[in-house]
Parts: sequence; structure tokens; C-alpha cells
Amino acid sequence: MNKIALAVAAAFAATAFTSPGAFAQDKTIKIAGFGAKSGVVRGFGINSEAALLAAADQINKAGGVKLADGSKGKFAVEFLDDRCTAEEGISVIRRIAGTDAVVAIGPTCSNVAEPLFGILQKKVDDKSDSGLQMPVFTDVAIKVGLAKISEWAFRNVPNEVTMYSSLFYWLKTKHPEMKTVFGGVEEDFAHSRATWYAVMKDRAATNGYAIAGETKWLLADTNFATQVREMKKANADIVAISAHPFSTCGVLKEMQRQGVKPKLLVGLTSTSTFETMQGCAKQAEGMIIPTSFAPVTKEGKAASDATAKFKGAADLHSMAAWENMFILKQVMESEKISGNPKDVQADRRKIRDGLAKLKITKGLMGETKRTDDREADKPYLFVQAKGGHWTVLHNPL
Amino acid sequence: MLDFLQSASDGILFGATYALIGIGFTLVFGVMHKLNLAYAAASVGGAYCGLLIVKVAAGAPAFAVFFGAFLAGGVLGYLVYLTCFHFIPVSNPLAALMATVGMLLLIDEIIVHETDGVPLNYPAMFDDVMLRVGEFTLRGDLLMVFVVSMVCMAGLLALLYKTRLGLATRAVSQQAVAAQLCGIRVGRVNAMTFVVTGLLGGIAGAMIGASVGTLSPLLTTPLTIKGLIVTVIGGLGSIPGAIIAGLLVGGFESVLQQFRGVTERDLYVMLLLFVFLVFRPGGLFAPKGGRD
Repeated sequence: MNKIALAVAAAFAATAFTSPGAFAQDKTIKIAGFGAKSGVVRGFGINSEAALLAAADQINKAGGVKLADGSKGKFAVEFLDDRCTAEEGISVIRRIAGTDAVVAIGPTCSNVAEPLFGILQKKVDDKSDSGLQMPVFTDVAIKVGLAKISEWAFRNVPNEVTMYSSLFYWLKTKHPEMKTVFGGVEEDFAHSRATWYAVMKDRAATNGYAIAGETKWLLADTNFATQVREMKKANADIVAISAHPFSTCGVLKEMQRQGVKPKLLVGLTSTSTFETMQGCAKQAEGMIIPTSFAPVTKEGKAASDATAKFKGAADLHSMAAWENMFILKQVMESEKISGNPKDVQADRRKIRDGLAKLKITKGLMGETKRTDDREADKPYLFVQAKGGHWTVLHNPL
Repeated sequence: MLDFLQSASDGILFGATYALIGIGFTLVFGVMHKLNLAYAAASVGGAYCGLLIVKVAAGAPAFAVFFGAFLAGGVLGYLVYLTCFHFIPVSNPLAALMATVGMLLLIDEIIVHETDGVPLNYPAMFDDVMLRVGEFTLRGDLLMVFVVSMVCMAGLLALLYKTRLGLATRAVSQQAVAAQLCGIRVGRVNAMTFVVTGLLGGIAGAMIGASVGTLSPLLTTPLTIKGLIVTVIGGLGSIPGAIIAGLLVGGFESVLQQFRGVTERDLYVMLLLFVFLVFRPGGLFAPKGGRD
């Protein structure tokens, strides 16, 4: 009997020494994604979730993330729906903070990001501030300058000021005969509103364009006749539309009906997506938009294909989510997180500090510079709607 | 002056779709004395179903899509009746109202989940036609929307005043118990009312899709609100009232947008509603009180 017990023990011991994972089982590193997965901007959440899952799958297949004790951790992504509303977003981030997720990636809407960053601790180590101490690495919400709200907030979204500045500069060089810009703005959406008033309008004027006027509409408007008549009267060389696909398409169709044909059309970054082509490819023909993603590099194409397998579309927003996963892997390894649930707060702090230290990250389109206020300065290019697709028009970098 | 005329005419033409939505609300209220808040959502749902025809037969004419929306609207109307009214006790009107709110959200979410919220291209007829008198223009597709809406309204009035179903519907709307005593099957009339308003809603959804050129789930809530405003201004239960109020709200909205801007436009429309509620709570054409 003793001999049998000895043999079994020996067999176990042998297995233990020969199996690499036997000493320490792979740990699970929880990443919480969140964004709109219901409502009219559901597409943002669907695509972001697909990109996060695809990136996690690729990282896990390559062995996972190396932890402080030398073991490997596998990413597990859970994606929560914030319905693109501030109160739901705040509730979601509080829920995430109560779990053992080490970092949150999201949200998709700027109107959620702004108040949500407000409930995070403003300054690290400020004992008088009881705000949440949870690193949030935003992939989609793009409104200018939000990360400065909290030192726990980081973003990997394109810098619209740089992109539109470069676009209007390039247009001025390429088409010096064009002198005027007319703006159309979706007034009740945080991103589109901020982009026209704080970015497009200012950048166009700085580059020597005269602003011939502006007209406003709401996200759910159905009749754009009045606005397009104003546009027609202004007779500007360039019409810049700062709106999301539904109202952009409504306006473009009304422009077609009224025979408004500007020499050039400029669109909002978030409109360089599949949605616009689905809604009004014909009317959007020729529209130029700066974007931080197009599947023109080998890595970009691979990421796009991998995301498609998880039923998501690759665009400037979802591919930022993809990049975030790889940046986080790098940070977790350099900061040596433990991956133990009992150390979750310490790991969160290490990730925050690691993200804050980054000066340059590797992205799908090239290197991204990190700014002191925790924003990204991403590479970009200009795309143009052509034959129902977004095609690369110019790479300014 | 030209701006005013142009805005007013655009708004009045587009207001025909508000009138169709308003008629749906008012007809159900007139017959059952209950509000169907899922009506506009079902109308948009019908319009989406019409698009399935394009999926099955690519390049199908716009007319086929509209007809598909018309039929789907009728089916959805009947489903709304079954789920939100038929099995809910008559003695609890609030339950039926809340059921329709739930149905509104359900239809909205189904559309969002099926389309991922992506706006879909919607076919139009005569969208390349523009009638011009000097600087003044009239959109061909909006004129078509207006004409189709007027034909539907005329058809509905003919149905109500020239057929046995219409007679039964009017009888139930005036005195349901007396109508039942006369041998009218009230349940059947109620169901038919939902089917008829559903058919009308399907057309309304398709006309809205055609006039915008794009269909999005974003449309359901604003159309529900506009439909209710039209119903109240026109007078609950009054079909001519809903028609006039629909055109009025469309024109009013468009003119205010021209002169006060988009940010103030809805404020004035709500103010108009408030004025009616205070000074003429029965609306433009308040029906005479019943004998109940």
C-alpha cells in the first residue's frame, strides 16, 4: 500500500516539475470595457467591444501578460453598457470600481466622459479627495481636452485641433482659390458642437478662411430645408458639417434636393465610418475627413480583420480600443503588476503611474505621442468618400 | 416674406406626416378612450419592415417599399392591440398606457439591435423634382408625401363614414355598451381600429423615411411627442382636428426655426401646446361630450 502511495506521489511530483504552468496557474487580469451598447449610438459600443475582445484574444494566444512574480496573466474583458447617458456611465464606473478589474476602457460618448472623469480623484495622493481611484483609458469619447479633469483619466483619442488645423492648412495650399467656409453643426451633441465651435471654425479662420456663416440642427431633426437654404444663400466654397451620420445624411440629401454643391465638403471625424456610407454614400461623395485610422498598414489590416471576426467594424474609434489593450499590456509588464485580486488597488495605481509615464506608444498607424495632460497626439491622414468607400486622400505625416 | 412663405410651405407639407401620426393617436383614443403611446414607434417599425423588401429584392421600386411598410404597419398595429390592450383589464386604463410605453421602448430597442443604430438609406419618389416659381420652390418628394397623406386621410374618412365597419367604429366610439347591445362586436371593432391606424402608421413611417431620405431609431421619440401635441391641439378624438393641427404644427415649427433658430423652435411649439391646454383644452375641434 505504501509503495502505491509513493508511486502516486512520485507521479504527481513528476507532473509538477514537467508542466510549466503547474507551479502557478495563469492568473486572470480583468479589463472592464464600457460604452454605449444600446440606443442610437450602439454601434460605438459594439465595435469597441469587438476590438477589445479581438485584441485580448491575440494577446492571450501569444502567452498573455507577464506579471511581477514571473507568471503569466490572461486578459478577460467584460463590456458594460452605459447607454450613452451620464448617470448610467457614472453608475457603471462605480460598479467597475467595486470589482477586481484593474483598469477601465471607455466611455464612447463625450457627454458621459466629462461627468464621469469628474467623479475620479482629481489629483493623485490627495487625501482630501475621496474621488474614485480607478484608471480610465478612454478609446472613443473625443471632445477636446477632457483628460485634464482627473489624473486618473487617460485618453487615446485623436487630437482634433491638430487634425483640422492640418486639414485646413492642406486645403488652403491645395486649393488657394477657395476662400470661404460655411459651418453646419449638430447643436445638441457634445462632440459635434464642441468640434465646430472650438475646433473647425477656429482652425479654418486661422488658416485664412472667411467664415461665411453657420447653421444649426438637432440630432433627431427630420427637416433640414431651412438650414440648407441658409447654406445656399451663403454660397461658401467649403461646407464643413460637424454632425453624426444620421443628421449628416439628412443634410446632404437636402443639399442635393436644393442643388447646393459646394466646391468641397468637410466632415466630422466620427462620420468617416460605415454608417455614413450605409445612409448616404451617393450624397457624401467627395467629403473629406481627417481620421486616425484607415487600414493602410499591415498591422491596421490585421487588427481590422481580427475585429471583424468578433463582429465589429474597424474605425478610428474601435481601433483606439485595440491599441489601448496593447498599451496596457506594455504598462502592466513594465510596472510589474501582481494580478492578485487582493492587490487590485495597488495594481490600479501602478497602471495609472505607468500610463502617466508614457511619452510614446505604438499604434496601428505609427507612433503616438503622449502629452503631459494625458492625451494622445496620434498620427492621422485624410480620407475621402469615393464610390461608397472611404479612401485615403492624403497622408500629411 | 419669401423666407416666411418658403418655411411655411415646407413645414405644412412635412406637417402632413405629423397629421398621419396624430390621426393614429386620435382614432384609437376616440374608439377606446385610451392612448397608444407605441403608435409612432410602430409606424417607424413598419417603415423599417418595408425596407426588408429591398433586402429580398435589391432595386425594388420605392412604391414596393411603401406598400411593404403599409402592410407591416397593419400587422404591428394588431400586435400592439393584442399585447397592450386585448389582455389588459378594461378597468385599469393606466396598465394599458404603461404597456404602450413599454412597447414603444421595446420596438425602439428591437430596431436599434437589428440595425445597430445605423441610419439606413430610405427610397423616395420624386426627390429629384423641384417646382420653382422664381425664388420660391416646392420639393417634389414633399408634395408626394402631402398628396399620399391626404389620400390616406380621405380613404380613412370614407372608411369611417361610408362603410359598415366605419359605422360600427363610430358607434363604439360614441357608446360602447349601446353598440354592444346592438350586436356590434366591440373587441373586433377595437382590433380593426388598431389594424387601420397601423396601416396608416406604416404609410406615415414610410413617408417620413422618404422625406428625410434616411431612417433611424432616433425618429421614434420626437414623432411620439409631435403626435401627442397634434392630438391635443386638434382635439382628442377629432380626425379633422388632427389633420389641421398636424399641418399647423409643421408650419409653425418650420417658420419658428427660420426666425428664432433651432434651439428655440421646440420651446415655442411647447408654448403653443401650453396655450391650447390653458385656453382651449378641448383642442381645435373638441368632439361633443358623450352620454356617459
